[in-house]
Amino acid sequence: MNVDYLVNSLYLIKPELAIASALVLLVLIDLIMGNNKKFLPYVAIAGLIAAAYFIIGQFGMNSLAFVSKSNKGMIIADPFGAFFKGIVVFASLFVVYFSIKSDEIKASFERHGEYYTLIFGMILGMFFMISASDLILIYISLELVSFSSYVLAGFTKTALRNSEAALKYVIYGGVSSGIMLFGISILYGITGSTNLYEINSLIQSSSIPNLTFILSGILIFVGIGYKISAAPFHFWTPDVYEGAPITITAFLSVASKAAGFALLIRFIKITFIKSVDSAGYWQLVDLIDWKTFFIFLSIITMTLGNFAALWQDNLKRMLAYSSIAHAGYLLLGMAVLSNQGMIAIIIYFAVYAITNLGAFFVVMLIANKIGSENIDDYKGLGYSQPFLGVSLAIFLISLTGLPPTAGFIGKLYLFIALVDAKMITLAVIALLNSVVALYYYIRVLKNLFLSRPANGTFEFKVSFSNGLVLVLLAAPIIILGIYFTPLVDLAKNSMQILGF
Amino acid sequence: MSLELFLFLVFAAVAAVSGILMITRSEVVMAALFLILNLASLAGLYLLLNAQFIAVVQVIVYAGAIMVLFLFVIMLLRPEHEKIVTKISGIRTFAFIIAALVFVQLAYVILKSHPGSALNSDVTASVNAGTVESIGTELYTNYILPFEAAGFLLLAATIGAVVLAKRKFE
Repeated sequence: MNVDYLVNSLYLIKPELAIASALVLLVLIDLIMGNNKKFLPYVAIAGLIAAAYFIIGQFGMNSLAFVSKSNKGMIIADPFGAFFKGIVVFASLFVVYFSIKSDEIKASFERHGEYYTLIFGMILGMFFMISASDLILIYISLELVSFSSYVLAGFTKTALRNSEAALKYVIYGGVSSGIMLFGISILYGITGSTNLYEINSLIQSSSIPNLTFILSGILIFVGIGYKISAAPFHFWTPDVYEGAPITITAFLSVASKAAGFALLIRFIKITFIKSVDSAGYWQLVDLIDWKTFFIFLSIITMTLGNFAALWQDNLKRMLAYSSIAHAGYLLLGMAVLSNQGMIAIIIYFAVYAITNLGAFFVVMLIANKIGSENIDDYKGLGYSQPFLGVSLAIFLISLTGLPPTAGFIGKLYLFIALVDAKMITLAVIALLNSVVALYYYIRVLKNLFLSRPANGTFEFKVSFSNGLVLVLLAAPIIILGIYFTPLVDLAKNSMQILGF
Repeated sequence: MSLELFLFLVFAAVAAVSGILMITRSEVVMAALFLILNLASLAGLYLLLNAQFIAVVQVIVYAGAIMVLFLFVIMLLRPEHEKIVTKISGIRTFAFIIAALVFVQLAYVILKSHPGSALNSDVTASVNAGTVESIGTELYTNYILPFEAAGFLLLAATIGAVVLAKRKFE
C-alpha cells in the first residue's frame, strides 16, 4: 500500500496540525499541572502563533491534499482558505486575550483547561470548514464547531440565561445539522460522490432530476445558513449572543461567521460553477437559481436584523441583531455571483472582524466594572471615560458604515459590486437599511456623550495592556478607512479558489 | 418470488408495523420496545442491501447502546406521572404537516429521481463493498482526514459532557 500521498498531504495541512497539537497539549498540561492554570493561555497563544506562521505560508499554495486514485482530494490549501483561516486565528488571539481579562471567565477558574481546549476544538473545526472539499469532512467539521460552541455558550455556571442560551443553541443546532445531513444524503444519492469537484463535473455533463437537486441544495444551505445566522435560521442568535460569556459571543460573531461564509462561498463556487467569464461573473449550472435565492435571503436578513435591533436595550443583544444584519449585507455580495462580489465580501469581512472584536471588548471592559450591558447604564461614559467612549464610538460608527472609518470602505465596495451588476434596487434597499442601522447605533452614542453621568459610576482605570489592545483594534479602523489600498490588495490576492 | 424479495417484504412489514405501534402506544416502555423491533428489522434490510457492516453497527449501536440510553431516560423521568395528551392540539397538526412533507419529499426523491441509476458508476461498486475490510481500508486511507476529525469531534464532545456534568456538583 502506497502511503506517500498521505505523508505529502501533511505538508499542506500544517495550520490544522498546529492547532490539533496545541489542543492535545492543552489537555495534557491541564492534567499535569493540576490547579496551576496560568500557563494555559500562553500555550494557546503559542499554538495560534504557530498556526498563523503556517497560514502565511499557505498564501502561495494552490493544491489539494489527500488525493488518491478513488478520491479527488479532501482538503484544499489555497489563498482564499488562508485568508479566512487568518481571520479565525486573528479573532482567536484576541479572544484568548479577552478571556485572560474577563471577570466572567475568571470566576470559573477551575475549568480553564476545558475552556481553552474547547476553543481550540472550535478553531480546528473552523479550519476544516474553511478548506474542506468533501461533504463528509464539511459535515464533521460543522459538528465539531457546533459541539464545542454549545458547551462554551453555557460555560459560566451561575447565570440562568447562560443555560437557556446553551439549550436553545443545542436544539436549533441539532435540527439544522440534521436537515443539512439529509440534504447531503440526497446529493450523494443523485450524484454518487461526496467530493465537491467531482459533483461539479458530474452535474455539468448529465441530466439531473431538477426538483430533487434544488431540494438537496436548499437543505444543505440550512446548515450553513444557521452558522452565518441568515434570516429564517437566525432565531438562536440573539439569545445565545446575550446569554453566552462575552468572549464566546465575540468569537461566535466573528470566527464562526467567517468559517460559515468561507464554506458557503466555496460550496457554491466549486459545486455549481460552469465557468467564470472575462468580467468575473460566475456562470452557474442552471439547476438552482441561487441568484434569486440570495437576493431574497439578503433582503430578509438585513431588514429583520436592523429593525429588531431598534428595540434592544441590552448592548450585547443589539450587537447580535446587528450581526444578523451584517450577515445580510454579506449575502448581498453572494447575490452578485461574481469575483467582484467576492472581493467585496472579503474586504467587508476583514473590517467587520476588527470592528466587532473591538466593540465586544469595550462592552466586556465596562461589564467587568459596572456589571451591566444595558444601554441606559452607559449614560455619560464618554465624559468620565473618554478613551473607552471614543473607542466605542469609532467601532459603532464603523459598524454603521460611515466615513472616515473602514466600515465605509467595506460597504462602498459592496455597493459598487451591486451597481456594476446592475442590481440598483437591491443597492437602494441596502442603503435604506444602513439608515435604519444608523438610528440604533447613534442611540448608544447619544447615551455616551449627550447625557451626564450619575455620580461615581465610572470611577475606574483602564489598564495599560487593555488600552494597548484597544488602540490595536481602533487604529486600523481609522487607518484603513483612509488608506485602504493594502486591504484591497489583500482581498484581490486572497480571492483565488483552487480550480477557478 | 425470490428469497430476497420475500425477506424484504417480511422485514419491511415488521418495520412498518412496529413503527406504527411505537407511536400509538400510550405506555413509554412499550413504545421503546417496539422501537427496538423497528431498528432490528432495519438491520435486516441493510443486510439485504449487502451492507453487512452497517447492519451489525445498527444492531450494536442503535438497538443496543442507544436503546439502553432511552430506557435510562425513561427510568429517570418516571413518565407514569406525565399526563397523556389526547386532544388534537396545534403541535400535533404541526407535527403531522412536517411528517407529511418529509413523506412526500422522500416519495418524490425515490420515485422520480431513479436513485438506482446514479450519475457515478462507482456507486454500484460501493454497494458491493459493504464488508468490514473494505470499510476499514477506506477509513484509514481515503477518508483518514474525516476519520481523524471525527476523533477530535468525540474528544470535544467528551470534554463538553464533563464540563456540563461537573457544574451540578460544584
